[in-house]
Amino acid sequence: MTPEDFDRLQTLLATRAGFRLTRDRMHLAEHRLGPVARREGYHNVEAMLSSLWSKPVASLGWAVIEALLNSETWFRRDRAVFDVFSRELMPALTAARPGGKVRLWSAGASTGQEAYSLAIAALEARADAEIIATDLSRPAIEKATSGLYTSFEIQRGLSARTMLRWFEQVDEHWRARPELRGAVTFERANLLDEPADDRKFDVIFCRHVLNDLEPARRARVLDMLERRLVDDGCLFLGLDERPEGDSIAFRPVAGRKGLYVKAPSALRRAA
Amino acid sequence: MDPRTCLIVDDSRIIRKVARRIVEDLGFEVDEAADGAEALTYCMGVMPHVVLLDWQMPVMDGLAFLRRLRDLPNGRTPKVLFCTIETRADRIAEALSAGADDYVMKPFDGEILLSKLAEVGAVQSPS
Repeated sequence: MTPEDFDRLQTLLATRAGFRLTRDRMHLAEHRLGPVARREGYHNVEAMLSSLWSKPVASLGWAVIEALLNSETWFRRDRAVFDVFSRELMPALTAARPGGKVRLWSAGASTGQEAYSLAIAALEARADAEIIATDLSRPAIEKATSGLYTSFEIQRGLSARTMLRWFEQVDEHWRARPELRGAVTFERANLLDEPADDRKFDVIFCRHVLNDLEPARRARVLDMLERRLVDDGCLFLGLDERPEGDSIAFRPVAGRKGLYVKAPSALRRAA
Repeated sequence: MDPRTCLIVDDSRIIRKVARRIVEDLGFEVDEAADGAEALTYCMGVMPHVVLLDWQMPVMDGLAFLRRLRDLPNGRTPKVLFCTIETRADRIAEALSAGADDYVMKPFDGEILLSKLAEVGAVQSPS
């Protein structure tokens, strides 16, 4: 891959996905695109990219983008977040909402571990949670929907007891049991697009997404999250992510790492 | 605070070495035993905070060790994590009902072990 190829990849990722492909990922990009080139029938990565630059085909462009997104995730990542959610937020919301129905959105769900972790918490508490999980990457959403994980993936963050309770062994893999799979609706969606509907959520989990976004796109995504969140709702970001520089719509909740609520200014604007 | 201790019980010297490196990086002081009988003798002297336990071993296997350990005075205090190539669901359930706190399928890495140790409360970890 030439430096020019990498520049064009950066532009492609930035414009379509708002994703910041940093220069230190050049080697990683080359490594990830190898299998895409083979699958698409190209001799090598250079041949695939030169074809893409000369005759942009949407499906090939997306295959390249999807291979380069950061899909790393695991079960109960940043476990304190899940403890705050299941011990404090969910009981409070269940009591406050009509019929006890709590609406959750895992935004940037990748391969589904976050959404299933939430679903397990809700099912074990017998709470009525409606969980929507979206991601830009079609393969990630397909994997999430299948609920199928390697023994390496299933162990990362899940205790063996929870694994046995909610997953069944399928040869070398572990598959979410039907009850668990049925608790989450996975959809492919781009956080940069205008929402296709006006669903609102009580809690939004958008963790480890902002830091990978182009700085210029963060404000837009945060504003969209603010619009999708009910006024007394909560937003979880990754522990090292800060909205302050990009948006005044949210303020942090003291003593609860990663937890944000709408700022007074955002509430006034809505009123 | 006293350093936290971890006993690694495995008949493979190489596995013990790999596991030792991982748990030492997490701040544990490590001792090793090559089978269940050796581990039991060790625990009768001093109880470690954490035991990483292989299943198939000569002399005394992991499950037999675990049952004997849990019958010792203070034998319920160590957090015991099986670390084994045995991956069948019914075997995992058997180990848990015998008193294991958690179960790690080989192969594993530092991330997995860290998350398991955090899950049983043996380390403080944001992850």
